[in-house]
Amino acid sequence: MSVVSIDQDALPYSMELCFAGAACDLRTNSFQLARVLKSLSISTDDAVPSGFNMRVVVNESSDEDAGEPHFRGLHHVVTAFFGSSNVFVFDILRRTVSASVSVATARDDRFWKEKLIPIALGVLGSAMGLVPVHCACLELQGDGLLIAGVSGAGKSTLSVALSKSGFNYVSDDWTYISRLGEGIVAHGTSAPVKLLPDAVEHFQNLQGHRLQRSMNGELAYEVDIEEAFGAQVERACEPRWLIFLERTQQAGAIFTPMSSAGARSYVSSSVERLPPQLHEAVAMREQTIGRVALLPSWRFRYGGTPQFAAKELREFVAHRRQEAYV
Amino acid sequence: MTDQLYWHPDLLRRFVPTPYVFSKCDGPTRLFVESNDLEIALSVRRSDIVHRQGKRVGKLLCKLIRDVAGPADGSEITIVSDGALRILYLGRGTILIHDHERSELLGFIAPNVTVRELVSSLIPALLDA
Repeated sequence: MSVVSIDQDALPYSMELCFAGAACDLRTNSFQLARVLKSLSISTDDAVPSGFNMRVVVNESSDEDAGEPHFRGLHHVVTAFFGSSNVFVFDILRRTVSASVSVATARDDRFWKEKLIPIALGVLGSAMGLVPVHCACLELQGDGLLIAGVSGAGKSTLSVALSKSGFNYVSDDWTYISRLGEGIVAHGTSAPVKLLPDAVEHFQNLQGHRLQRSMNGELAYEVDIEEAFGAQVERACEPRWLIFLERTQQAGAIFTPMSSAGARSYVSSSVERLPPQLHEAVAMREQTIGRVALLPSWRFRYGGTPQFAAKELREFVAHRRQEAYV
Repeated sequence: MTDQLYWHPDLLRRFVPTPYVFSKCDGPTRLFVESNDLEIALSVRRSDIVHRQGKRVGKLLCKLIRDVAGPADGSEITIVSDGALRILYLGRGTILIHDHERSELLGFIAPNVTVRELVSSLIPALLDA
């Protein structure tokens, strides 16, 4: 039997980090891990009021790579294994991640960037006033555009197309929403954009990239949007509009106004069910969802390429901006 | 958008029904046991688990799930201790969490772990560590 004691005094590397607007107090015994996580940290002026603690012990005797994830949860605790040598315990009430990982996992920056940080924000977010919403987010001259839609609706390809036509990229799949004053702020992470194999038909330069097996088992291109497409990246913005994307077989584009109730219903559907022990987090989350649902919302049905949809959406946003500022 | 869109699978198994619920008073402590497995619930109720909590009094809630879908791998026991939480895991399929501030013992038990092993070995190892 081995015992790992996560004693703060035995974790000499300590630093303040920030992920998607959430402050993270990191303590670890590994300089290498501290360096990896520091490189992923993005400071922001619009930080959420409460952050989280992350305490990671790196087991020098283990060099096993992070394996397939295995999650379980009860009450306020969620556990995640990535192979047998990497275990994470998320205490939602105390907003703490405690972990024991291998040396190989500690130095694997992709693991932290693409898996652990988004998972930590997803699990602990509700307790920090940060709601993970299944939508993309783009920004144009200070105005944020949330693009929601079911998996396969084309959020990621449209995000790339919009970022190639003047929008700044915030996120393509999960956006973290917090309240600020009377408004809301949308945060992205440094997670890569995930494009399904058929995206290569629309973006030829994907041919130079390799398809990879993503965490949900799908084969996809996972690329850094700045490097792959020269996109401008914004880490946070203030959303002004909410678009529900629906792809149709019929060519063309049509925008239909959507009710606040419909918007609320969709956003509520993208957040996970939480147990009664987390009732305060649920209440805080409901307030944020309520504000998202108050955004002017439209259903956007389109048939055609992502570039066509991006052009239509850009014109639509230009009209909305004119209406707002005239 | 249909109702089907809003359906979320319980991937974390947070909401597994636990129909076997027992409680007993043991001195000044009240023990509550919840499980989806009758043998686990009865054995934990019969065990001396309350006395292993040390001097703490009040209540102890045990919620233990027999995780038939969990992996049955690994043979080494590891205990991770951080603040109010102490976590024992055996492979990836068995994990026990003791929150001593909230007086809660939570866990998933892999199919290859016997109730005897759970009650006489794993729970004592966690609470006595």
